[in-house]
Amino acid sequence: MDKLAKIVIPGDLISEKPLKIGEGVFIEDGKVYANVYGILDQKDRVRVIPLAGKYIPRRDDTVIGVVTEIDFSSWHVDILSPYEARLHIGEYPGRIDQSEMSCYIRVGDLIVATVLDVGWTMKVDLTIRENQFKILRGGKLVEISHTRVPRLIGRGGSMISMIKRESACSIFVGQNGRVWIQGKPENVRLAERAVEMVVREAHTSGLTNRVVEFLNANK
Amino acid sequence: MADGVYTFFKDGLRLDGRRKDELRPLKIEAGVLKRADGSCYLEHGGNKVMAAVYGPREVHPRHLHNVTQAIVRYKYNMASFSVDERKRPGPDRRSIEISKVSREAMESVVLKERFPRTAIDVFVEVLQSDAGTRAAGINAASVAMADAGIPMKGLVTSCAFGKIDGEVVLDLCKEEDNYGEADVPVAMIPRTGDITMIQMDGHLTFDEFKEGMKLAIRGCDQIYELQREALIEKHQNDLKAKE
Amino acid sequence: MSDNDILTEIYRDQMYNLLQRQERGDGRALDEYREISIETGVLERAEGSAIVTIGDSKVAVGIKMQPGEPFPDTPDVGVIITNAELIPLASPTFESGPPGEVAVELARVVDRGVRESKAIDLKKLCLVEGEKVWLIFIDIHMLDHGGNLLDAASLGAIAALLTTKIPNKQYDLAEEDEPLPIVDIPVAVSMIELEGNLLVDPDHIEEAVASTQLTIISNRDGTLSGMQKMGSGPISLELLEKAVELGIRKGQEIREKYLYPLMNEIPRL
Repeated sequence: MDKLAKIVIPGDLISEKPLKIGEGVFIEDGKVYANVYGILDQKDRVRVIPLAGKYIPRRDDTVIGVVTEIDFSSWHVDILSPYEARLHIGEYPGRIDQSEMSCYIRVGDLIVATVLDVGWTMKVDLTIRENQFKILRGGKLVEISHTRVPRLIGRGGSMISMIKRESACSIFVGQNGRVWIQGKPENVRLAERAVEMVVREAHTSGLTNRVVEFLNANK
Repeated sequence: MADGVYTFFKDGLRLDGRRKDELRPLKIEAGVLKRADGSCYLEHGGNKVMAAVYGPREVHPRHLHNVTQAIVRYKYNMASFSVDERKRPGPDRRSIEISKVSREAMESVVLKERFPRTAIDVFVEVLQSDAGTRAAGINAASVAMADAGIPMKGLVTSCAFGKIDGEVVLDLCKEEDNYGEADVPVAMIPRTGDITMIQMDGHLTFDEFKEGMKLAIRGCDQIYELQREALIEKHQNDLKAKE
Repeated sequence: MSDNDILTEIYRDQMYNLLQRQERGDGRALDEYREISIETGVLERAEGSAIVTIGDSKVAVGIKMQPGEPFPDTPDVGVIITNAELIPLASPTFESGPPGEVAVELARVVDRGVRESKAIDLKKLCLVEGEKVWLIFIDIHMLDHGGNLLDAASLGAIAALLTTKIPNKQYDLAEEDEPLPIVDIPVAVSMIELEGNLLVDPDHIEEAVASTQLTIISNRDGTLSGMQKMGSGPISLELLEKAVELGIRKGQEIREKYLYPLMNEIPRL
């Protein structure tokens, strides 16, 4: 994505040929239009990368959630989305008793989880079996727009690996836009500023180099 | 006016120097509020309005939700100090009706089925009113919706036409509205040309109506360009703000 | 989806199938009203009244008048105040409580029709300039919601006004009560749009299925005095213009058939 990234608004005509389309567009009378405010990308397929919008969970997404409530069989988890997610007791790695649920995961805990399923009416189920389950403690939570997550991770994880390395922090990015940073306080502050920089300049060219420069200059 | 005491044209131009088919000056700025998911500040003639969009978000009260799509809610509110004589705060019958027709003007472009069980809330606050506040509110709300990243099949744009001294004109100002013979607010989707709101009161012949619709559509096309510019400018400003 | 939504979907399919042959569920032509009846002077405590039925819809309108203060910006003209209530008696879908947005919109559209057509010569209703004028209260009660309440309400309002007597005696203002000075007769004609067709006078099922409804209010000379689009569906300019023409034509028919007979003499245009 270069400096001259083309911004489109909902309803803009993008292409007269409805071939290979991606997100953020719709077809009407054989023509492709943008349905969201964002950056036009025509590299592999025609799509619009949104500049804003709420996180809508998709199956297999890894998210950072906050436990808000415990009922008789599941933890209710806020995932920075219009839809609350549920983590059923059966998804906990290992057998536990209903009466002990709050001993394992408490209200207010920050957890890393995977979206197991999204139902027809947007009923969202999580699981923590697949990845190594952890409760995030002692770091700093930063919330960014989920639309910037792909850029923050970078191609093949290049951007986030670089930030981790240069800032000497452990960083975890949820696809829902929650970022958790752990390290020495001054390093955490540095990493946070690098994340902010990526969020702001997500759609400009030469960003990785600028972030490296920034991190080196401020170490 | 019919009795000829007051005239609205001088040398073919209107009181404020405009031609019959000319809009009042507009200024549109997107993304002006920090907490809202999307926002817009808009000035149109003497109107100053602020629009904020929240959502899609959980619906409260819960029973109002729809399991197949998002509900859109639209609240138009006039600040008590927006008019010469202080307006009593809170919703009145006029603002209830304006909220309803404005919501209906916007609903058809929103891809509501993407967000079952949620609400998309639009709040329009009129800070200073001239004539045409509902159109100004819709224009601002439309930009705020896009700014919030809500998927839509196009923006909605609105302006009014009216009749003064027996002449059909675009975009009445306050004096014209107070003494004019008709006022017709129109909203449309410039991309398709479809009309999404029309109201009329006053006195018009069928031919005058058709003539006025032509003016309103041209007016909407011009406003639409300003809406799009505001959104593009917002992104550029975000980039500039980096240092 | 609630039961009603599912039913609406079923009706939608049936209606679309019929429309292929330009037919409606009850056999009416697309531009045909259901049977209309108007009874006036039926409510004796009111200065004017009407009960209007259009098909299964029934609406009662009462006019009350009393002297009161004019608005400061119009010190020498009478005041019209219109109110509508969708009381739960009229439909399983209506709820108690203060008027909701549908009732408010309906009342305001009826009100604008009466006001903007200048149906009443309000200058003649000034008693003492700046101090006392006649207030006219138009109160609309929906009794049975069979669809198109707006036209029934509007027809009821104008019919009741045509038969209203100013209560001079009650307030010791003159020897005799006298008729309201009516100078024009606005008629509201509502229709829905479905698949590019315009269906006049929708019943409540047609209303539920349609997402675009239009009301056209016109005067005796065929000019427009009001218009309102309701519902979230868009409409093309071409169809809108067709709707306006149709509204004016149907309005004229209703005026001649149902409203002129209520007048002793029809004033010249």
